[in-house]
Order: sequence, then C-alpha cells, then structure tokens
Amino acid sequence: MRSLTLYRRLLSIQLRSQMQYRMSFLMDVLSTGLLNGTYFFSVALVLNRFGGVVGWTVGEVAFLVGVAEIAFGLTDMIFSGFDADTFSPMVRQGQFDQLLLRPVNITVQVLGSSFLLRRLGRILQGVIILAYGLWMTPVVWTAAKSLYLPVVIASQVVLMGAIFIFGTTLTFWTIERVEAVNILTYGGVEMMGYPMDIYSKGMRRFFTYVVPFIFMNYYPALYFLGKTDPFGFPAAAPFFAPLVAAAGMGLALWFWRWGITHYQSTGS
Amino acid sequence: MKPILRVRDLEKVFWVNKRRQGILGSALSLVAPQMEKVTAVSQVNFSLEPGEMVGYLGPNGAGKSTTIKILTGLLVPSGGEVEASGFVPWKQRQAYVAHIGAVFGQRTTLWWDLPVIDSFELLQAMYSIPAERFRRNLREFTEMLEMERFINTPVRSLSLGQRMRADLCAALLHEPPLVFLDEPTIGLDVVAKERIRQFIQKIHQERGTTIILTTHDLSDVEKLCSRVLILDQGQLLYDGSLSALSQRFDGRRLLAVTLANPAEQITLEGVEIVSRDGPRVTFSLDGHTHDPAALIQTLLARYPVTDLEVRRPELEVTIRRIYEEKLLQPAGQA
Repeated sequence: MRSLTLYRRLLSIQLRSQMQYRMSFLMDVLSTGLLNGTYFFSVALVLNRFGGVVGWTVGEVAFLVGVAEIAFGLTDMIFSGFDADTFSPMVRQGQFDQLLLRPVNITVQVLGSSFLLRRLGRILQGVIILAYGLWMTPVVWTAAKSLYLPVVIASQVVLMGAIFIFGTTLTFWTIERVEAVNILTYGGVEMMGYPMDIYSKGMRRFFTYVVPFIFMNYYPALYFLGKTDPFGFPAAAPFFAPLVAAAGMGLALWFWRWGITHYQSTGS
Repeated sequence: MKPILRVRDLEKVFWVNKRRQGILGSALSLVAPQMEKVTAVSQVNFSLEPGEMVGYLGPNGAGKSTTIKILTGLLVPSGGEVEASGFVPWKQRQAYVAHIGAVFGQRTTLWWDLPVIDSFELLQAMYSIPAERFRRNLREFTEMLEMERFINTPVRSLSLGQRMRADLCAALLHEPPLVFLDEPTIGLDVVAKERIRQFIQKIHQERGTTIILTTHDLSDVEKLCSRVLILDQGQLLYDGSLSALSQRFDGRRLLAVTLANPAEQITLEGVEIVSRDGPRVTFSLDGHTHDPAALIQTLLARYPVTDLEVRRPELEVTIRRIYEEKLLQPAGQA
C-alpha cells in the first residue's frame, strides 16, 4: 500500500517534469502517432491488392497489429525504468546505489524512475490501426469479448515488461548481451503483428514453447475474430495470455532479485 | 554502553577477470577467463559507541569505500560480522537503511529536475517522517545550512556547495542515529568547507549522532574527530586518538621566537636553529627528548622576546609518512 502511494508520487514527478515542454511533447506524440501509422497503411494498401494474407483479411491483420502496438506502447511507457540502455549507466554511475540506500522497495523505485509519456504517440498509432481493423472487419462483440480485450492488452504489457526486467537484470553481468533481448522486445511486437500461420514450424515452436508469444496476441485474436485454430490447441488457448504473463513476470522478478544479490556481492 | 556499530573480522574479496595480452589472449579471456583474487578488506575490527565521531582515513584504494558500502548494506562481505543499530546491514537492507543516513559527496540522492524542497518532501514520504517532526527538522536545517535562498531551485541549477548542503539535509531529515559521510567536503572552497564542518559538528553535539567520516581533507578530521581509524591495503593500521598519533609519529616541534633585540646572539642547549631572519629565530626540537615548556621558560628567562610560537608538523605530512614509510603494522600483527 505504501509502495503504491510512493509509486504514484514518483509518477507525478515524472509527468510534471515531462509536461514542462508541452508544445514539443504534443508534437512528439502526434508525429509518432500519425507518421509511424502511415507505415502500416502503406503495407495495408499492398495487402489489400492480394485480398489479405494466409487466410487473414487486411482488417484482421490490422486487429493483430493494433492490439500489439497499443500493448507495446504501454509497456515502453510504464517499464521504461527497466530499459537496459538507461539502467546500465545508472548502475555504473552509482545512482542505483542511491536507490538501494532508501527504505523503499527497489522494484518500485526503478519503475518510478522513468515514465515515458511520449509513448502515447505509439499507443495512439495502435488505436488508429485497431479502429481501422474493426471498421474493415467488424467483430461480433459479446460481453465476454469486451471484458477480455483489456485483459489481453494488460497481459501483453506484463509479459513484455517481464522481458524488459529480464534484459535489465542481465546488465548486472554484461552490457554486450543485451542486444539479444531487444530482438525479443522490438522484434516480438513486430512478430506478433502477423498471423502465426506465416512463420516456419521451427519459429512457431520457439514462440510457443520458449517465448510463448503465440498465446499473447494470435490466439486471443482468433477468439475475438471468430476464426478457427489451424494448430489444434485446446479450446482454452485464447485464454492462456494472463497465465503466461503472470508466470513470465514471476520468473523475471525472481531473476531480478537474484541479479541484485549478485550485484551486492560483486559491487559491479 | 552497547556499541551502535560493531565490526568483526570483516573481509571482502573480489574476483576480477585477469586480462591476457594480445588478440589471442583477449579471445582466450572470453572463453576461459582467468580469475584473480583481490582482497579489498581483511581483518577489520572496530566498534563505535553511540555519539562517537570517527575519521576513516586511508590512501586511494585502501578499501575505505568497500567498507562503507558494506556498512551501508550495499555490499555483502566475504567474511566477518557487522551489527549496526541492531541490524545486519546486507541481510536486512531495506529495514536497516531507514535507520542510517549516508552522504556520498560525489553523488546526489536528490532528484535532478526537482526543486530542493520537493526532493525533501519525497524523502519525507519514503522515510515516513511524521509531519510535525519533518517541519521542525526542515526549519532547523534550512537555517543552519542557510538554504533559504535555493530551496525552491531545481537541483541541477545548484552550485556544488549548495548541492552538498542539500544532500546533508536530505540524509538527516529522518534523524538517523548513525550517519556515514563519504567525502562531504570534496571539491568545495574553504568557506563552504567550513560551513559544512560546523554543521556536522553541531549535529554531532546537539543530537548525539554517531558519525563516520571518510575524507581526503585531513583538516576535516583534525577539526571534527577525536578518534581516527587508518586503513591501508585493506587492513586497519591504527585505531585511536589523533593527538596520540601525531605524538607518536611526529614529536618534532618548531619553536619560532622574535627577539626584542635583533642583533642578539641566541643559543639553547641541544636545540638546533633551522633559520634566522633578523630578529626571528626558528628552532627545531624533538618533543620526546626535550620538554618544550621547560625550554620556553629557559628562553624567556634569558632573552627579551616580543613574540613566540610553537608549531606542530602538519597532520597531512605525518599521515603521508605513515603510508609511505610503512610506520604502522596491521593491528594484531604488531
């Protein structure tokens, strides 16, 4: 409870200092929101000529991309304290030690050390693409579906956040190996924007059993769009997302705590 | 009284990757790293009574910051025991740090973009300081450290001296009984240093705060600490009073006299004249073999004198001699 109050205060500081330059902030949000969005629509134009891809209409692909973009924008905004590129210098310059000297949960402090409001741009872009998708291919909404969509987005945020935390923890040991994690984060969101059907068997296995991205966006989309499962997973597969997210976050936090223990025994 | 800090057989060993020469060597280091053991701190024993202020001295690389990091819970030692305010620092870090204050002169704990006062208010929330106590301390510290002028200024716009004062205040707002000050006067001018020293002195006297002070500036230690710990190559060389230290290692005294009659010839038995400049004569004497007081009496009885001064060698010179000439052996081995 105390941690939550403190997190809110740390957040309000972040927001206040970022809103100091209101104009540049607005420009930034609008430009990433609208300009990056045009990239998707140029792809959509091409896809439209072919009437879709592997049995997915352009509207359905837009649904995949939109949800993944919204979730990733949120992750990048909320978990930016765990961005390895900013965290690693924080450790080397001793700022991390300063956090350890305060009687507040360290994870809350790192989370509260950065909040990139500018990522609203990417979220806005996701919203536009999702809206386009829903306009092209209307979803038959039920109460369950409309309740589950926010859960899916939150699950993606939590799992991506877990990968952020994992990557940041690696910087306690090395700086070089972090690139591999970026493939999972920035690459992951790109990957989730396409139907799993287009990937090779090996890739699909990797994203099912090693990093189970398949349950985060693809299976939920099958449920929302009322499509049949080509891979023969249990009917409950679209609802695995929150479980995978919780497991991933649990694992990441455990690794994070282990990393701090390592840091405290080597001091580097 | 029960010690507030007890350190027993403290040891810290680091394993560092030993780099090999050449391209082949560095490739080899990557695959099969050759680890080398470096002992940063070993066999360190001491304890502090509540209300003590000690200087923690040592040349660069002596293991000072390693010790401070262990004592503040940032680093886990390889061996030994520490009990501070009833806690084992690295085992109960989050609970423990609420009971200590720490200032690392090279860094700031304040929020760079926030006005100083906002940082203080955040710390109030983090340390759960009751509102009344927070207001009282803030008022008192603001006055003592003369912070009114910059309390609403963002930290990034402060001068080094102002920032250091704000950091000191930040470390003390929750009234910790045990405080670690690591180079709190580094990079400051004489006036700013003096202001900070006076503040530390006052906190120590009025609140009975136990303070460990590491510094390169020996005048900090001379003015503030009656007890010093000297560390070199990870081992504690000395634990005792500052005056006993300079007595033991530098008993020399310089006695400067200004004679009423500039032409007068002057001699003192067994004492060497190091310089003579008109009426001003400087003797060098060994405090162990001569009694300076008796010599001065003899001198005054024999010659009319207008001015007289006895100087001790600078502490800095003494300490440097101890490091360079290895005058001290690690405690327990001597």
